Amino acid sequence: MHEFAIASEIVQNVLETAQQNRGGRVLSLDLEVGELAVLNDEQVTFWVQELLKGTVAEGARIRVKRVKGVVGCDDCGRRSRVRGDPRDILAPLSCPRCGSFRVRIERGKECYLRRIQLLRGS
Amino acid sequence: MKVVKPKGAVILDIELEKDLLQKNRSLAKENRRRFDRLGILAIDVMGSVGSGKTSLIKGILRKLALGERAAVIAGDLTTTIDAERIAEEGARVIQVNTGKECHLDAHLVGQAIEKMNLDGVRILFIENVGNLICPGEFPLGAHKRLVVVSVTEGPYTLMKHPFIFREADVIILNKVDMARAMRVNARDIERDAKRVNPYAPVIRTNALRGRGIGKVIDSLGLEG
Repeated sequence: MHEFAIASEIVQNVLETAQQNRGGRVLSLDLEVGELAVLNDEQVTFWVQELLKGTVAEGARIRVKRVKGVVGCDDCGRRSRVRGDPRDILAPLSCPRCGSFRVRIERGKECYLRRIQLLRGS
Repeated sequence: MKVVKPKGAVILDIELEKDLLQKNRSLAKENRRRFDRLGILAIDVMGSVGSGKTSLIKGILRKLALGERAAVIAGDLTTTIDAERIAEEGARVIQVNTGKECHLDAHLVGQAIEKMNLDGVRILFIENVGNLICPGEFPLGAHKRLVVVSVTEGPYTLMKHPFIFREADVIILNKVDMARAMRVNARDIERDAKRVNPYAPVIRTNALRGRGIGKVIDSLGLEG
């Protein structure tokens, strides 16, 4: 539901970076979204595209990489990849190895803007 | 050495490694430092629309009778209903309208504390926008986060929205007097809470009548 806020943040960063690098057109941007983040990456992409309209980055290609979720267990002490369907909201809530609910999400909640590719005129 | 410079347009690859949630986190840390400097205990109160966040805060304020030594930031989309209800308890209150945004963020809270006179304030409640999705993802810098769920939301709230409950230091199960009428078993919700967040105590309340408020106050380490 806060996809719009995140998209605005992305767009601001893209445009600032383009300006700082005396760039012309922005060709593409790479995002990384954790599969456990409370974000729908299709909605984020949609809003980024909308917000980029009329800027130097209009029409830029948006690539989204999904980062796998990892949980650490306070009972058995092991770190494990979250198994099952990542859209299953209950999947990351227990340790896949020992079944304990005393787990912490260690990876998979992040949202990164990793890379921007831009075209600079000579 | 001969350097070959490309003619015409150049494609630049710029690595950013920009964490988009980081800005909120660092603003939250700033808020926290500010609270600590002022000697204020800040509590973020989250939960659905109608779960009883305002009633709970009112109940706590009444019991602690702190008057102006307590303050409340009331977050809502556009109305001032909550702020007016809280002002009845004698606390200082500021309304933060998010417009159409679905949650408070650390920046909005920072602006609000900038505007408030917090001299002599010991406890600050930050009432978040009624929503079980977004507020959990945006820490505000509060020392404790509390999530209110009422039995009138039905039996499945915790399993449908586990993420926000994982952020909670204390879970409040409100309106327990309505459980029978709603055919909801409070024990089932407590069992779900142990699954979703085994670290947070669950406290049963009837905030309107003031029941369980003493336990909430103890769990938050508050004193009058």
